[in-house]
Amino acid sequence: MNKPLFSLMLGALLSLNAQAQQWVTRAGEVHFLSETPVEDIEATSKEASVILDLETGRVAVQVPILSFHFEKALMEEHFNENYMESGTYPKAKFAGTLRDFGGLPESGAVEVMVDGSFEVHGVSVDRPFNGTLERKGDEVMLICRFDVRTEDHEIPIPAVVRDNIAEVIAVDIKATLVAR
Amino acid sequence: MKWRFPQVLALCCALCTAMAGMAQDDMMDFFDEVEEESRPVTAVFKSQRLINVHTCETPGKGEMNFVIAHRFGRISDGAYALWGLDNASMRMAFEYGIHDRVMLSVGRSTFEKTYETGIKARLVEQMEGGTPFGITSYSVLMANGLRWADPERENYFSSRLSYAHQLIVTRKFDDDLSVLLVPSFVHRNLVDVPDRAHDVVTLGGGFRYKISNRTTINAEYHYFLPRPIRDEFHNSLSLGVDIETGGHVFQLHITNSRGMFERAFLTETYDRWQNGELYFGFNLNRVFQVGDRR
Repeated sequence: MNKPLFSLMLGALLSLNAQAQQWVTRAGEVHFLSETPVEDIEATSKEASVILDLETGRVAVQVPILSFHFEKALMEEHFNENYMESGTYPKAKFAGTLRDFGGLPESGAVEVMVDGSFEVHGVSVDRPFNGTLERKGDEVMLICRFDVRTEDHEIPIPAVVRDNIAEVIAVDIKATLVAR
Repeated sequence: MKWRFPQVLALCCALCTAMAGMAQDDMMDFFDEVEEESRPVTAVFKSQRLINVHTCETPGKGEMNFVIAHRFGRISDGAYALWGLDNASMRMAFEYGIHDRVMLSVGRSTFEKTYETGIKARLVEQMEGGTPFGITSYSVLMANGLRWADPERENYFSSRLSYAHQLIVTRKFDDDLSVLLVPSFVHRNLVDVPDRAHDVVTLGGGFRYKISNRTTINAEYHYFLPRPIRDEFHNSLSLGVDIETGGHVFQLHITNSRGMFERAFLTETYDRWQNGELYFGFNLNRVFQVGDRR
């Protein structure tokens, strides 16, 4: 057999495999803000797991609810105990597919649309998300901002605290993905 | 076999396809591989105290918990005294989190005009998928503030003091049920009758059960080990309900112990459930964030 040719094919096979890949992180940052005239409530998790497959255009995210940390310990307790019921619904999840995705250029950010199912508090909602992807050297940056209606996920907010908690929560996600 | 270009190409294509296919199926297993970080079990109880006895809970760092507690008179006093409501004994306390696991407190009770200062530390925390229970220590120094019964004789400040040390062993079995076991050691520097023991050991137990996200039912019992002091003192039994409303926790209860600090309810409970000698009372907890959490 033609040795150089075999090496070439093997090389091509490996590089193909290296390209057709999945980009991941286990330290994605998710921040949310509930803004009302009475008070702003915000929390951040730095434990979002994200996986993005640039070949198939599939993307999935999972965040442990208990990984959200607040400025006040009591807020954190109430968030888990009363609203998110994290003992029963320990994670927020998303799984979706990039819409009309034509691959990621070597440089520059691209706007992407993702359709998928978003589960919080055990209630899934099918909806689109906007975001950007950008290749930076060996990494892919993912940025996404969106709003969540507490009502959509059947998160009960009692009348006494209705002035303190916004009906629509602003969420933003930042993740730096590396090749899996 | 001699390798030819088309064969190699076909093999490569087949491998690539197989790998791509595999990769697709492999995607969601990324989440299964996550080694779940073991976290401390939180919200074991709604409040720092179950009813009278301390739980494993401490305020977060920089949080101040202000407690106002009342025990009214005997319910058996009847309508004339509005079932005890005419006759309130109160305690107030400030509990501050100097660390997410350490609390300092000061308090004052009407009962024997007692001042107290205590320290509680969560030594071992129950962990998700790890340590099955938590251990918390609580130590308190109590000072009786009553005027000397006999000012003529030589009185010492140390006579006013008593101490209690507790190990609070807790386990949250599920979202609803949390249980505690509390061995307590109480030392009184001065006892009012000479043959009374200075040191008293009790074994306490209690639980809370959540009936909704914001409401729990609670019970606690403290048993003398060994039979102490005198027959006029009894084991303390309390039943209660916690209602949490955002920044407040209201704890309503019925108990045979009127005192709200450790020496009083552990070693000086005069009344008995059997005789209907019960007190209605409440603890009101209000949390303020006064310091920085980080």
